[in-house]
Amino acid sequence: MQELEKMLLELKDTSELMIDLAYSSLLYNNHDIAEEVVFLEGMMDELGNEIQEMVINQSSQGGDVMKSLVVLRLQMAMEEIADAAASIADVVLRGVPQHPVVQMSLRDADVVISRATVASSSELAGKTLGDVKLSSISGMFAIAIKRGKKYIFGPNRSTRVEAGDMLIARGPEDGEEYFVALADGTEKL
Amino acid sequence: MRDVEEPPFIDLSVREILTEMKDISEVMVDLAYAALMFDSEDIAQKVSELEAEMDNLNYAIKIKTLLAARTREDAIQLSGLLQIAAAAESISNAAGDLVKLQDVDIERRPFLSFMLRESEEKIRMGTLSEKSDMVNRTIGDLGVEAETGMRVIAIKRRQRWIYDPEPETKLKARDTLIVRGTKDGYERLAEFISGRKHWPEYGEGA
Repeated sequence: MQELEKMLLELKDTSELMIDLAYSSLLYNNHDIAEEVVFLEGMMDELGNEIQEMVINQSSQGGDVMKSLVVLRLQMAMEEIADAAASIADVVLRGVPQHPVVQMSLRDADVVISRATVASSSELAGKTLGDVKLSSISGMFAIAIKRGKKYIFGPNRSTRVEAGDMLIARGPEDGEEYFVALADGTEKL
Repeated sequence: MRDVEEPPFIDLSVREILTEMKDISEVMVDLAYAALMFDSEDIAQKVSELEAEMDNLNYAIKIKTLLAARTREDAIQLSGLLQIAAAAESISNAAGDLVKLQDVDIERRPFLSFMLRESEEKIRMGTLSEKSDMVNRTIGDLGVEAETGMRVIAIKRRQRWIYDPEPETKLKARDTLIVRGTKDGYERLAEFISGRKHWPEYGEGA
């Protein structure tokens, strides 16, 4: 079941990233991010299909039916989350000006989205996200990095931050100020 | 007699309802995974309650938005807003579906614990020691999430649960905290809740 477990893990992490990315595409009216959400939704579908085939095969070969059922339900719930994220991204991709209330609501939320550009004097520059433990020191969890015209979506511990990068992160409102100050170099680790 | 109960009147603006819906949908997913992780029927029950609350919020936001539309432009913009509200409701439905997995014996869902353990952001549980200087302080005053990256999603205090605690919620010795965040974050928080390390003070106003 090792392979199946890894696939489920990927579904979970991707579905959560998609929600964060979807809200950030909305907040910044950003088509690149919205398109990534739609792309990830396609990946979730493919992975979901693979999982379904795998467990149905297993139970038809005498595997535990209840176990297969749990996997299928789990996969469907995570797909529902991914679909919801894609539906949020769709609002952005439609290109209609958004109602101002949407962005205000997002700013009032418990979990806020923030972005900051990394200065060359910043202690984040040249270090990996794992080195600086950005999330555990600031509460802000990086969801995307914009480098030049390109994006790194869902960066991980080994992703290196470079001067000039724009970090997009989500977290508590009271973590935002320190996060921005760390990025612009006014605050040290 | 009517079979269907009239949804309760919700005295919030569209802006406030949308914020509520986003917040609740996110905490529901966290709570749903926590319910599975710790096999807790109490938490699962709370997820079901929140699901019903979300239905009411979604209904209220639809009515308010429809009343607010005066022109075609309004209608187009507001339809986007309703689509976002509907997405938040779908997320809450997914969370409701997740807790239903509890109906299956825990032995038959071993891969669940692997997924929850290895996930980028995990749900963890820890008990607040009497020695910790977080005791008798509020979550907001401490800034738990900004300081550790761990979000407190529920607190168990004796037999009682506090779900999605407010910044004003005061922590008590022997509270069991259910938190969501990265591994590094949990290790950092664990030092503070055990009292091994002092909660950092930055001397504001000192």
